[in-house]
Amino acid sequence: MIKEFIQGLSITAKHLLPGHTTTVEYPKQKLEIAERFRGLHRLVPDHDREKCVACGLCPTVCPAKCITVEAGEDENGVKYPKVYQIDMLRCIFCGYCVEACPVEAIEMTGEYELASYKREDFCFTKERLLK
Amino acid sequence: MPEMLSLSNDPILFLSVMVAKILVVFIVVVLIVAYATYAERKIIGRMQTRLGPTMTGPLGLLQPIADGLKLFFKEDIIPAQSSKFAFILAPMMILVPAFITVAVIPFGDFITVGGYLVPLHITDLNVGILYILAMAGLGVYGIVLAGWASNNKYSLIGGIRSAAQMVSYELAAGLSMIAVFMLSETLSLRGIVDAQAGSVLNWYIFSQPLAFCLFVITSLAEINRTPFDLPEAETELVSGFCTEYSSMKYALFFMAEYANMIVVSAITATLFLGGPAGPFAGPINLLLKIFFFMFLFIWIRATFPRVRYDQLMFMGWKVFLPLALLNIVITGAVIVF
Amino acid sequence: MAKKETMTINMGPQHPSTHGVLQLVLELDGETVVNAVPHVGFLHRGVEKLAENRSYHRALPLTDRLDYLAPMSNNLGYVLAVEKLLGITDQIPERAKVVRVMMAEITRIKSHLVWLATHALDIGAMTVFLYCFREREAIMDMYEKLSGARMTSNYFRVGGLSLDLPEGFENDVLEFIDAMPGHLNTYEGLLTGNKIWQKRTIGVAKISAEDAIDIGLTGPALRASGVDWDLRRDNPYSGYEDYDFKVITRDGCDTFDRYTARLDEMRESCKIIRQALDKLQPGPILADEPSVCLPAKKDVVNSIEGLIHQFKIITEGFKPEEGEIYQGVEAPKGELGYYMVSDGTANPFRMKVRPPSFVNLQALPQMIEGSMIADVVAAIGTLDIVLGEIDR
Repeated sequence: MIKEFIQGLSITAKHLLPGHTTTVEYPKQKLEIAERFRGLHRLVPDHDREKCVACGLCPTVCPAKCITVEAGEDENGVKYPKVYQIDMLRCIFCGYCVEACPVEAIEMTGEYELASYKREDFCFTKERLLK
Repeated sequence: MPEMLSLSNDPILFLSVMVAKILVVFIVVVLIVAYATYAERKIIGRMQTRLGPTMTGPLGLLQPIADGLKLFFKEDIIPAQSSKFAFILAPMMILVPAFITVAVIPFGDFITVGGYLVPLHITDLNVGILYILAMAGLGVYGIVLAGWASNNKYSLIGGIRSAAQMVSYELAAGLSMIAVFMLSETLSLRGIVDAQAGSVLNWYIFSQPLAFCLFVITSLAEINRTPFDLPEAETELVSGFCTEYSSMKYALFFMAEYANMIVVSAITATLFLGGPAGPFAGPINLLLKIFFFMFLFIWIRATFPRVRYDQLMFMGWKVFLPLALLNIVITGAVIVF
Repeated sequence: MAKKETMTINMGPQHPSTHGVLQLVLELDGETVVNAVPHVGFLHRGVEKLAENRSYHRALPLTDRLDYLAPMSNNLGYVLAVEKLLGITDQIPERAKVVRVMMAEITRIKSHLVWLATHALDIGAMTVFLYCFREREAIMDMYEKLSGARMTSNYFRVGGLSLDLPEGFENDVLEFIDAMPGHLNTYEGLLTGNKIWQKRTIGVAKISAEDAIDIGLTGPALRASGVDWDLRRDNPYSGYEDYDFKVITRDGCDTFDRYTARLDEMRESCKIIRQALDKLQPGPILADEPSVCLPAKKDVVNSIEGLIHQFKIITEGFKPEEGEIYQGVEAPKGELGYYMVSDGTANPFRMKVRPPSFVNLQALPQMIEGSMIADVVAAIGTLDIVLGEIDR
């Protein structure tokens, strides 16, 4: 009995020695984000505008129904999204929109600090997503 | 040889020295309480591969002050259905005995002030140990009262557990102390320290190892530390007797827990480790011994699971009590023959 | 004689050790539990109903959120069920099968680590909690590297996998399973031999083999009662028949045996993962079944056929023939079953989940009646329940 108690105590004492902490002091230090991390979305730009052609696959596949796309045509008759909006309060970060996009116009970044004070701040419009 | 300072030979000096001693001891105990919380968080944090507080001041050293400030400014909630008087009284009843127990602990030999000898203890009761036991007995009222006054079933169970635990463990603790003053032939703590003077081998830890172990374990139970922290048992009773407490009242409970740790460490040091004896100045020796025991308590907390209520009772009545009695019999036999 | 009264106490839904939002109404005589009634449903999100309004593909992320401590096991059960419904079980490529087994076993370790952590914490040994979470963090990092998410992985797909293994992933797994036995010994050093831990677990929350079968217990809770039953061996899926592993059983029927059984299961899982790593060969990760699987991304971008294919699958989904099937998998907590009914449309007509925790929870009143409050938390811990799965 005593032997096991001492064994337990020695395990905790061993961890008291320097070099055993695994804490990452978050706001000061940050973990490295994996390449495939599914964070905030980003619309991929192509020259001066977005690559998106407003085909509507991403709102179709989205399980949380958080994407709103309204298609429009520019003066050359090219389709583009007049409105492209993601409601981050609904988004479940499943990555289906990226998987579905036929022109690789949307991707997910390593951005995960999405907290905000106002409800409106969670509506990511096209302009914010293009950044 | 200078005369001993007393009320009759220089009343004003005596009173001012007395007040100074009380203030110094009080401040030191409060400081240790504050930084014991810090030390506990740091040590357990390290043991658990964490860091403990780091953000408040350098190395998080201001954390106890921040905690105190936060608790001080928090809303003081008294549950509507509670018994208000008892609810307010309980935290005081638990803190005061914890602090006044320190009064009988000798923290050094004598110093000379204004041509008189001044003993380094606040008071030397000739029934010092009985006084300690009495204060420990008073402390339990605070917990029971808190548990009852909160009008919360979890608190009530915590209070009842604590009452049962204290009663059964105080018995074993008291009996293990008896062996000590059978050897010292005095109940005064100063007398016990004097009886251990001379060499390290005179310390009662060597002549009374069983009593020492019993006392350390039972006092762990008396101050509700892991593995005997059943009255507050976070994962069973939410927080036991202090579930309903907030703000400064909660802080008083918190302080009482650490003050009790200090008191128990000091008593153990006095009874078994020669009190202020050692290589440095008296108070420093005593402090080092106190810190050693506090580290032990923290270390145990980081390692062991919690025992169950019935097992705790079983150990108290069927293991520790007979062992303590046996120890008395053996000590008696050795003294007589 | 004085009247004997009992006290009714509400344990939960806000309680530190009811593992979420379980409510237990306990009738206490002093500290002894006379009667216990579990109340569930505080975390009900209607997962089964939601699935009926989504195509098979879009219902997959819902399963991540059942047992959120073992998302890949849930995914695995779901994709296997849908594949069975479609009748394409044989066409799953070998690589996908091996990766599925590997991730399912890593998930088992992940789930058991959380179980051990919380179980030990409930009994008061809080250091084990943080040691377990340290190892779990390594698994979370692997999850993140592989699927992009740390908890809701959503990685498997009907027909295979969503992505191939990232570079260096096999090394991470190998490193992890090399280190894991040492970590397990650390936990054991703190708990197994410790007299207090033994006192708190041996003989606590006993359930006999007959009762366990009557109630429908599955997983480690059943096997620790001496019943040798493991779906991985007795009803193999995803190629489990090709792996060499022991089914861990114990005869003690108590908390301590469930504890050692789960620890040994983690060791067995490490062995299975090692075998899976040896089996891993390059190859396709999606079945060659164009009516179900999405085309490769490069085909979508470069060819009009691929583009049309992508549009067709995403907008229309796939339509299994009318019928119903049941597929059970050995999830970390027990048998996780999906009962799927298809009416020939793109959405499931019914998705019934048989969550292991829900069934296992039934054993709780029987386990704790007559024992003490402290044993209640030990019993909740040893059943390893997750409320996300119970309430769905």
